Amino acid sequence: MELEEMRAEWNKLSKKVEKQEKLTEEVIEKLVKYKYRTGLKRISIPEYVGTLICYVAAAWLIINFGKLEGGIYQFFGAVIILLLFTLPVISLKSVQGMNRLRIATGTYTETIRDFAKQKIRFQKLQKINVSLALGLFVISLPVLANIQGKDVNAIPNFWVFFPMSILLILMFSWWVLSNYNNALREAEEMLKELDH
Amino acid sequence: MEDKKYFTRVINENEGIIYKVSSLYTNSREDRDDLYQEIIYQLWKSFPTFREQSKISTWLYRVALNTAIYHLKKSKRSISAGFIDKEALSFIEEDHQPEEEQLKLFYAHIDHLGLVEKGIILLYLEGKNHEEIADIVGLTKTNVGTRISRIKDKLKTQINKTN
Repeated sequence: MELEEMRAEWNKLSKKVEKQEKLTEEVIEKLVKYKYRTGLKRISIPEYVGTLICYVAAAWLIINFGKLEGGIYQFFGAVIILLLFTLPVISLKSVQGMNRLRIATGTYTETIRDFAKQKIRFQKLQKINVSLALGLFVISLPVLANIQGKDVNAIPNFWVFFPMSILLILMFSWWVLSNYNNALREAEEMLKELDH
Repeated sequence: MEDKKYFTRVINENEGIIYKVSSLYTNSREDRDDLYQEIIYQLWKSFPTFREQSKISTWLYRVALNTAIYHLKKSKRSISAGFIDKEALSFIEEDHQPEEEQLKLFYAHIDHLGLVEKGIILLYLEGKNHEEIADIVGLTKTNVGTRISRIKDKLKTQINKTN
């Protein structure tokens, strides 16, 4: 089938669609209200819950910071507090970036370019987030044990479960990062198509 | 009140465009319905800016196509279409007439194209001339012409492969 034939068939479909029942003012109003409400929810819930958890954990650590004995544990404790404050900011920033739309003002190619760039930025920030979260897990265990006045060596089977958990987290991170890499490739393809 | 009436009229006159864009940029019915609603919502949000512009069709195609791009980030997630008034959106119901089958085949061929090409071909099928396509897409007229002939070749090869 040639493109011209396709165009003729397309016109037939257009005529068919035009004959269909029309949306009423009431239905459009209901739809707009619904979309407005869900749009607000979409940005907030998961990101804000995550942020709250991180900030509660950071506050708990600050309160218990005095219980940390030894310079190395205090250093790790400070790093964890810093990470708990930084990770949600990175996450919120990347999500906000993806939600900043220029739908009415940009042309189609400008939108594709914006979308691809935002997507690349988002994926890179998420990759940083996953790596930092892994680091957070590794250093948080000895710090938590120290706050409770325990030596990690004294915890039964610690050196069995700890490397196993790291291995599991590494596998999970590898899977997450490979998904991000696929998304990055897709976004880069979009940018390439614009320049062809 | 007047604005609401005017907006409804604009939507009614252009429902076909919204439906076709929604179908072309999605692969499932749920996703298509969601995009359909999102386009209407984005049109409503940007309605005040349209009032300052001259051509309604340029504004409408721009918003619809741009919304479809941003909708891509959600298309891989399982999402609920949410608000759906099945009676009001009755034309979205599937039927299995021969032209529907033909249309599915179109969509399958167009689906293999890149995003820029997809937008261009949709506008071409809608009967837009090179100048209008260039204005909506944001390319030069010459570039649009080059891309259209490239798309023709691509589709021909693809259709020959499937036959």
